[in-house]
Amino acid sequence: MLFFIVGCSRNMYYWGNYNTDLYCYYKNPEEREKFSEHLQKIIQTGEQGGVVPPGIYAEYGYILYEGKQYEQAIEFFQKEYDRWPESQILMSKMIRNAKKSTEVHTVSNDEDIVENENNDKP
Amino acid sequence: MISHRVILLVLIASAFAGCATVTPKDLSKFNAASLHSILVVPVVNESLDVDAPDYFLSTISLPIAEQGYYVFPVNMVKRILEDEGLSDAGLVHNASTEKLAKLFGSDSVLYITIRRWDAQYIVLTTTVTVELDYVIKDGKTGEELWRDYRIVKYQPSNSSSGNGFADLLVMVINAAITKAAPNYIPLAQQANTTAFTYPGPGVPPGPYAKTKESK
Repeated sequence: MLFFIVGCSRNMYYWGNYNTDLYCYYKNPEEREKFSEHLQKIIQTGEQGGVVPPGIYAEYGYILYEGKQYEQAIEFFQKEYDRWPESQILMSKMIRNAKKSTEVHTVSNDEDIVENENNDKP
Repeated sequence: MISHRVILLVLIASAFAGCATVTPKDLSKFNAASLHSILVVPVVNESLDVDAPDYFLSTISLPIAEQGYYVFPVNMVKRILEDEGLSDAGLVHNASTEKLAKLFGSDSVLYITIRRWDAQYIVLTTTVTVELDYVIKDGKTGEELWRDYRIVKYQPSNSSSGNGFADLLVMVINAAITKAAPNYIPLAQQANTTAFTYPGPGVPPGPYAKTKESK
């Protein structure tokens, strides 16, 4: 029973049921709409106290992006960009991608992140 | 009566044994890097449960963000890497840390390996186990800055009613339920919370921590 008593310190951010929401989304990938609604709720509630957790605007933006709602996606990528300077490189890419086309779904392909010369594994 | 005392002594001894293993970590490299952001890449799975990495991913953002770091959106990062042809977590873990960090604009990368994620049925009781490795590497140099290892186990508690047969039945049912639908998530949360607790095994508070000094 003791395992389930997690520290009693209060959280800095408003998370809603983010853990469970993402877990359920992975368990039932067809329930993207539900996950999207839950993220929206976290944002709405979190914004009242200025306690939207890092990454949540972007996560919501990405769900919109996957649903081809590019303009709304850009709005939330921009919110993440404005709120968290650490996100700016990634958010710039995502905004560029969302603006650029309705077909391209990846971040810029000009960087190969797997080092080919390091493939010395058997 | 004697057997109860023995059990009590064993319990006390094991409780102390649990506390004695905490050794302070050398955080000089971690502190020197003064990280702002942590990129959690897809989790390597050594367990037999194919769903474990995704489920685990849902538990990791909160403890890191609450520790005062910017955490990149885990689901988005996972999807982007999949689009890049990096859906295999092993491939991501073997890729250059510097290039990964540069692609996402992150200060550091957190690599997690699930060693165990299982439920074992042994004599009327089921034990659920979650075992994890955590490593944070510097996004600029690829150097290891911090590492931790956690194992959390859970057994359903079988309270005694005094009626031997009824107790046995309860134990069998508890074990069967735990085995049929083991809930790993609270164990993963517990592992993460402990891993990131500071002072303790975890990392010092990041730039967004409210109580940076007092912690």
